[in-house]
Amino acid sequence: MTVERPVTLLIAALGGEGGGVLTDWIVQAAIACDLPVQATSVPGVAQRTGATTYYIEIFPQTRTELAGRQPLFALLPAMGEVDVMLASELLEAGRAAGNGFVTPDRTLLIASTHRVYSVAEKTALGDGRFDMNSLLQTVEQRATERVLIDMQALANHSGSPISAVMLGALAGTNRLPIPANAFIAAIKAEGKSVAANIAGFEAGRAAVTQPAVPVTRAPQATRQSVAQQLAAFDGPARSIIEIGVGRLVDYQNAAYAQLYLDRLATIRDGETRVGSDGSLLREVARHLAVRMAFDDVIRVAQLKIDPARAANVRREVRAKASEPLNVIDYFKPGIEEICSILPPRLAEPILRLSAKRGWLGRVYVGMHIKSNSIFGFLRLKFLSKLRWMRPKSLRWRDEQALTERWLRAIVAALPLSPALAREIADCAKLIKGYGDTHKRGWGRFDRIFGQIVEPALLGMMPPSVAVDAIANAKVAALGDEEGTKLDAVLAAIAATPQLGKAAE
Amino acid sequence: MLSFPQETGEKTGNKMERSFKKEVQSLRLGAGETFRGEGILAVTKALLQSGVAYVGGYQGAPVSHLVDVLVESQDMLDELGIHLETCANEASAAALLAASINYPLRGAVTWKSIVGTNVASDALSNLASAGVMGGALIVVGEDYGEGASVIQERSHAFALKSSVWLLDPRPNLPTIVDLVEKSFQLSEATNTPVMMELRIRACHVTGEFTAKDNIAPAYSRKHLLAGPAPQNYDKLSHPPATFRQEKHKHEVRLPAARKFILEHGLNEIFDAPEKSVGVIVQGGLYNAALRAMSQLGLADAFGQARLPVLVLNVTHPLVPEQILQFCAGKDAVLLIEEGQPDYIEQSLNSMLRRADLQTNIVGKDVLPMAGEYTAEVLADGVRLFVAQHAPHLIDVERSNRLQALKQGRSTALAALGGEMPTRPPNFCTGCPERPLFTAIKLLQREIGPTHIATDIGCHSFATFAPFSLGNSILGYGMSLASAAGVGPMLDKRPISVMGDGGFWHNGVVSGVSSSLFNRGDGVLVILQNGYTSATGAQFLPNSKGNRKDDESTSDIETTLRAMGVTWLRTVRTYSLPKMIDTLRQAMTTQQKGLKVIIADGECQLARQRRIKPQIAAQVARGQRVVRTRYGVDERTCTGDHACVRLSACPSLTIAPNPDPLKSDPVAYVDNDCVGCGLCGEVAHAAVLCPSFYRAEIIQNPRWYDRALASFRATVIGWLNGTRRAPSSTATPQPVAAE
Repeated sequence: MTVERPVTLLIAALGGEGGGVLTDWIVQAAIACDLPVQATSVPGVAQRTGATTYYIEIFPQTRTELAGRQPLFALLPAMGEVDVMLASELLEAGRAAGNGFVTPDRTLLIASTHRVYSVAEKTALGDGRFDMNSLLQTVEQRATERVLIDMQALANHSGSPISAVMLGALAGTNRLPIPANAFIAAIKAEGKSVAANIAGFEAGRAAVTQPAVPVTRAPQATRQSVAQQLAAFDGPARSIIEIGVGRLVDYQNAAYAQLYLDRLATIRDGETRVGSDGSLLREVARHLAVRMAFDDVIRVAQLKIDPARAANVRREVRAKASEPLNVIDYFKPGIEEICSILPPRLAEPILRLSAKRGWLGRVYVGMHIKSNSIFGFLRLKFLSKLRWMRPKSLRWRDEQALTERWLRAIVAALPLSPALAREIADCAKLIKGYGDTHKRGWGRFDRIFGQIVEPALLGMMPPSVAVDAIANAKVAALGDEEGTKLDAVLAAIAATPQLGKAAE
Repeated sequence: MLSFPQETGEKTGNKMERSFKKEVQSLRLGAGETFRGEGILAVTKALLQSGVAYVGGYQGAPVSHLVDVLVESQDMLDELGIHLETCANEASAAALLAASINYPLRGAVTWKSIVGTNVASDALSNLASAGVMGGALIVVGEDYGEGASVIQERSHAFALKSSVWLLDPRPNLPTIVDLVEKSFQLSEATNTPVMMELRIRACHVTGEFTAKDNIAPAYSRKHLLAGPAPQNYDKLSHPPATFRQEKHKHEVRLPAARKFILEHGLNEIFDAPEKSVGVIVQGGLYNAALRAMSQLGLADAFGQARLPVLVLNVTHPLVPEQILQFCAGKDAVLLIEEGQPDYIEQSLNSMLRRADLQTNIVGKDVLPMAGEYTAEVLADGVRLFVAQHAPHLIDVERSNRLQALKQGRSTALAALGGEMPTRPPNFCTGCPERPLFTAIKLLQREIGPTHIATDIGCHSFATFAPFSLGNSILGYGMSLASAAGVGPMLDKRPISVMGDGGFWHNGVVSGVSSSLFNRGDGVLVILQNGYTSATGAQFLPNSKGNRKDDESTSDIETTLRAMGVTWLRTVRTYSLPKMIDTLRQAMTTQQKGLKVIIADGECQLARQRRIKPQIAAQVARGQRVVRTRYGVDERTCTGDHACVRLSACPSLTIAPNPDPLKSDPVAYVDNDCVGCGLCGEVAHAAVLCPSFYRAEIIQNPRWYDRALASFRATVIGWLNGTRRAPSSTATPQPVAAE
């Protein structure tokens, strides 16, 4: 015996995505089909970009068929009582599953696979994104049936809001007792941006009824010259090394790329000696190229006038080919940035004086450069041409010393433990950015090296303990801006009796 | 006057966040026609069907729409002679009901509860004591559960202490509308104001009812009263009349109310064959309770339960004879009463005790004392009740299913790795309030932490990450007052943040006046965005317009000067360096006394709603329009996200790093960017990185734009060695090696 019950639909959306309009379309379509319907929502301040839900119940018998009997509708979704879960974003689908609104005996899940990152994910000092694999896997497992498509991409492509695509996908599943043309009629009756909404609707519906190849972001092609020596680097690291070589030729010159390969050769040989699988080489190759192509004003100027960049910006801001585009870049080098490209003999006295006078961190040269104007371009071009000065600069000296220190530690760690070598290699990710960010990363790298890595290499700490200690310290170093987390981890390590000595 | 940064001389126009054109039409429906819409709009229509002479209120979710739709219906109100007062706060709204004390005028006001009721309570006590002649209805939006933006308390307490009748209708439109109409009759029959509480989902629930004609009030703006009422001391809430009124409440009004409730069947009994147990439920929770019962096999899809249900559409006063009659002969009755204290449960137990009835009242022992009664909470409560008191009603299969689902959910949560990142509300893209908090954060790096007294309004989103600014919230317009005792105990001045909404609602007196009077030495930042933005962009005294003409009625700066503020600066919020500098001055100046900074910038939501159609029309007409937006160079961004930590603009997000050598996601500006410029200012002021750029896209370019662009592209192409302008299809090519 089938139980008489309403068909229930829960919509999860983010404020400003048009969830209210979407709900209204569904309600109007149901009314047009003579079906009893009720919708509720909790708009409030959630519409200010927060996560919000809309809940709809539709009775699958027409009012004529019901002949006066009034179905009782609930205002709240209940665990295990949701027939269709429609989520505008993947994390929200996960949240719905976590709340019990996607259940394996009842729920069809229709969700967009794209991500709108939450503040916590966006503000991490490194990669704070929620694990996509566990998210996808969980929502798939919890649903009876699932439609997972990138609805945002479809919306962008059809020039419609995502709500129209969601409605189309919903219509495509045929789960509600409402035919597609009733939804289209509701869009038309509402009367706003009808053409765009119908385009989005059709795109969503087609994606369900005629699944196509998923839309993915095309990886950026990077062309690079490949040196002869590359043949010596066959293995999993090869593709990365090719990119690294290209990067460094572009960054400085072929000789610098050669230095890169020479440095990698030590790692490769060390790995061969201990019989490792080449995964370390791949990681070091990746980090080393980034370390060696450190960002200084010369590099930034070079990237800003790269013709590819102009094309990128034009595409990104959606300027039509016929529309002139001005690009104004924001620069604000401080004394340290400017000194860093000068020779140490010149830079160091200036830095000493500036420190004495308290200028560091206070005196900057603020510039807004229109890089598509001829004068603006020439200023950047001039800067980018200063590459010849770079090998004599203060920053170069410091960077090479740091890189050598890092590489030596990796090589020294290899015979002790390949895992330790990998952890040390990965420390390179701590150093990035400009100005304060760069100084902070460098300082934290230095502390982890001084207090864990180097003592471990001197045998003052068992490698397995050092591996954990470094991993913890790295997480802590990227845990906050203030450095309190790293302080705590390093203090805890220093307090461990057997390691106390090591930290001294 | 306000000094908004954009186009000058343009009026704001009557643009609230939501337009109610369609709804305005449905307010005119006549007898027999079908009204379709949201619960709160149904209430509005019911007021018109009840012949109200005046309506007022103060906005707040979920009841803002009640007044908003009337603001847009001025023509119809004029026809009916109804007066509409968009009140400055809930106290004004409650005081408005005084018109019903001496005159046969029906009136209704609305606000958000619990907070609005708190603000209104002084006037409310006085009103309730004097009693009313014309029906007086207060529609309170109950914001207790999910999405609640205020403290969780029960409006019930106010009804009890002031002897105001409290209605909590079953959440479907015909019931709500019927009870609105009956409320006026009840109010008049008992000389008592009536309060109707509507939970947030009931306000937004869709449905339909058969309309009646609107009733033009007998006395109105069109048909004036004969003259002022002669003084009747008993209508004053002033001693000794108050002593008589207090007795009158108990001796006359209460029995009259109970009689009315019974005679008009305001509470409903849905009978069932089961005789040993029953359910008493607050009207507003009826649907949720019935769904919970149907999940357990105790009710069908049409609301027919297997056990009898008494629905309390009136939760104060309770009618003892009705309660006793329902309980008599039952072993146990489940009472579903949301929130604490358990006023109804206590009351029921006392009634049963006095009548010497042994029926077991089961309430908070199977249901939680505090918090919202969600579907799951109710299902658990009903299951426990049945297991303990009516095991013969248990549907084992369904009970087991619910348990299995809970298990599955736990497994899913574990698989997700526990906590999901939350998504609290945030400042909108381009919000003018965001830069203030960036400025405070940057200033704190310089001068150290400061005590921040926060207020109610969109700006309270700064208490969330990434700003995480704010030490206390004491209510709407209360920030400055709440810092009065803190400032003298710290060596650094506290910063109080207040919106222009909070300023006019309360802050001007509770905060500014009190601080000046006490020679307080603090910093007050008033965010002047021109609307009460958090509630849907309603007008304020300082808005560039009001609902009657396009003039602002009061100006904050002038008001403050007149009150005696001497240190006063107005700063455009987006000028980050200037804002930091002004804050620094306010924090460090030797001058004692209140320092006020007016942070000026129009609500971006309102602004976009206003200018988007204008710009689209200009572009369509072929006018030259420069579109501005910001971007991040993915190749120079290093993935530290310091820029996001100082802004969290929804449009400033992250994207996978296109560089195969780097794994951290890069910052990315999406195409919702409105070009406010804060991210560029932040990168500049905080010396973050050179990745931000401003793009100016010239739409409908003139010949000189094209000529200049082409000249530049040619020269730059030549200088770059590519000899031609880069086209949009160019693939990335590294610069040739040296």
